[in-house]
Amino acid sequence: MSEPISFVIPVKRILTPEDLTKWGESETYKKLNAFIERLATSIKGLTNEAETGASEIIDALLAMLDGIETILSQHPVVEDANTSRFGKVEFRDFYDDVKEQVVGLLAPIVQIYQKTAYGDPTVELAAYLSESFGNRTRIDYGSGHELNFMALLLCLDELRLFVPEDDKALVLKVFIRYMALMRRLQREYWLEPAGSHGVWGLDDYHFLPFLFGSWQLYTHPNLRPKSIRSQDMVDMFHPKYMYFECINFINEVKNVPLRWHSPMLDDISGVKTWAKVAEGMFKMFKAEVLGKLPVMQHFLFGSILVVPVGISEKGDQDDDCCGHSLLNTWGDCCGIKVPSAIGASQMNKQQGIKPIPFD
Amino acid sequence: MLDLDKIIQDVKECRHVAEQDVLELCLKATELLLDEANVQFVDTPVTVCGDIHGQLHDLLTLFKTGGECPDTRYLFLGDFVDRGFYSLESFLLLLCLKVRYPDRMTLIRGNHESRQITQVYGFYDECVRKYGSANVWRYCCEVFDYLSLGALIGGAGGVFCIHGGLSPDIDAINQIRLLDRKQEVPHEGAMCDLLWSDPEDVPGWAISPRGAGFLFGGNEVAKFLERNDISLIARAHQLVMEGYKEMFDEGLVTVWSAPNYCYRCGNVAAILTIGEDLSREYKIFEAAIQDATSIPSKKPVTDYFL
Ligand SMILES: [Mn+2]
Repeated sequence: MSEPISFVIPVKRILTPEDLTKWGESETYKKLNAFIERLATSIKGLTNEAETGASEIIDALLAMLDGIETILSQHPVVEDANTSRFGKVEFRDFYDDVKEQVVGLLAPIVQIYQKTAYGDPTVELAAYLSESFGNRTRIDYGSGHELNFMALLLCLDELRLFVPEDDKALVLKVFIRYMALMRRLQREYWLEPAGSHGVWGLDDYHFLPFLFGSWQLYTHPNLRPKSIRSQDMVDMFHPKYMYFECINFINEVKNVPLRWHSPMLDDISGVKTWAKVAEGMFKMFKAEVLGKLPVMQHFLFGSILVVPVGISEKGDQDDDCCGHSLLNTWGDCCGIKVPSAIGASQMNKQQGIKPIPFD
Repeated sequence: MLDLDKIIQDVKECRHVAEQDVLELCLKATELLLDEANVQFVDTPVTVCGDIHGQLHDLLTLFKTGGECPDTRYLFLGDFVDRGFYSLESFLLLLCLKVRYPDRMTLIRGNHESRQITQVYGFYDECVRKYGSANVWRYCCEVFDYLSLGALIGGAGGVFCIHGGLSPDIDAINQIRLLDRKQEVPHEGAMCDLLWSDPEDVPGWAISPRGAGFLFGGNEVAKFLERNDISLIARAHQLVMEGYKEMFDEGLVTVWSAPNYCYRCGNVAAILTIGEDLSREYKIFEAAIQDATSIPSKKPVTDYFL
């Protein structure tokens, strides 16, 4: 039995470009990056249905996602709700319910941990899990939320709950299950794309299914990156490969050809081999997700994923607002920066650096 | 010599405009905008338009719906760029019309007309992809700094136009005139709020979930209308599925002019014509059918995959 760790509530810390530089040199950055690369390479050449072998922790994670899907089913969209706002407000009920039940959802996982170690990591795991499905206030979702889910898995990896044989299942079972849940959330609640580059980004919502998906196709004898341009190919292969699932989803929700709404993906379809796409996805992930201030400003640090050394002290401004009574219709204050709704002009003078706002 | 009519034609057909021409156009536009007030006076009748976000073909539909410029006088409430495929072409078209018919075209600044925001939401990437360098993006950003912050349509009882909304620092429209607008949009303060705030059913002021600007309630709108002797605040900045939405006893309207936003939202778009008698007439239009023959030209793949 190892020494008990004292777990803490994870908080946001990255605020300035200087912080981002320190983040890029930090141990946590290296761990996160290595974890994603390890998972991606573990499924090289494998389809979604490939044999992965069972384990207790994988089953616990799948059961947790099933539990969240059940919560989703309990909060259907009421059809005559105000249609002017894009996102459906029932998402907030779903979010609140997940948060309320998060201890129970995580309990089987925590019990596995406690078989071999002291301490209760629930507070840390709960923070990443709760933020894995989108932002409650803005009813949006983006690659930062997706990253929270990977952060949760990385925490479990750091807590030594996985064995090497679990890697494949983490992608082909757990991540794919998470993707299916996200697709349902996106459709059901009309989640808005968070921080979307519009047509100039890879995708409105996700990054990792493209990364993992290209590694699945790395060694494919017949399929080429340009195969995504054929709807027949997409129809045939979307149940087998994540990359094709993503294209299929986009084709379903967007009503003009790929070239128009996704020039990036169209460009990538011109790359000769999946190997080049797969290697490029690593570079792009580092630059466009882990290297972007608007994404990383929201990343949470605790005792498992520790804050980079030397980062500015006053990072976490938006997490200590609870307890204030805020005069807004959202009825929530978490995740929103700025100290007080009143005394606005004084605030303008006192505020330091602000995170990049959401358009 | 800059051939505006030719550039207008090229842009409408999505043909490449030479970098040198973009520079010249931007310099000309800047010269004009420099003389405009922070809150520009605009005569009636005028047609007010909301966010465009690079949806060039829908902008062309907008002109078909509202009448071509200069036959119709236009006021655009900002957010010309980001997200859509043709931010550059959309902005250049509006600039050409501004330079060609200065009194028939008023452009005010949206929160996306900013260096920081365009680097996050696509316009920067678009320029680099289309020109291989960021020069054209830089020229456009220079113009952004000179755009007016708001406009006032008609005299007493008229319409105040702004991209986002009100600021707790601004009681009177005259206070806006005192701001030094020729800069990047700041992260806080009056200029930021005017471009970022949203109306909401709140008493007074509340924190904005956007992380910039504020939420302002009906009572603030009533006070502002009364104090400034106007009848309406016309603003954009928020997607409205029906194209426009009046709030607070018709004291405020949101106008949204990007149909089927991001090729997926399924919304219609609207424009608002303010008549000589300050009457309001809304026109709705839908997304343009993309012409398969005018598919944008292929560009080399990004560096990551070389
Ligand atoms: Mn806006």
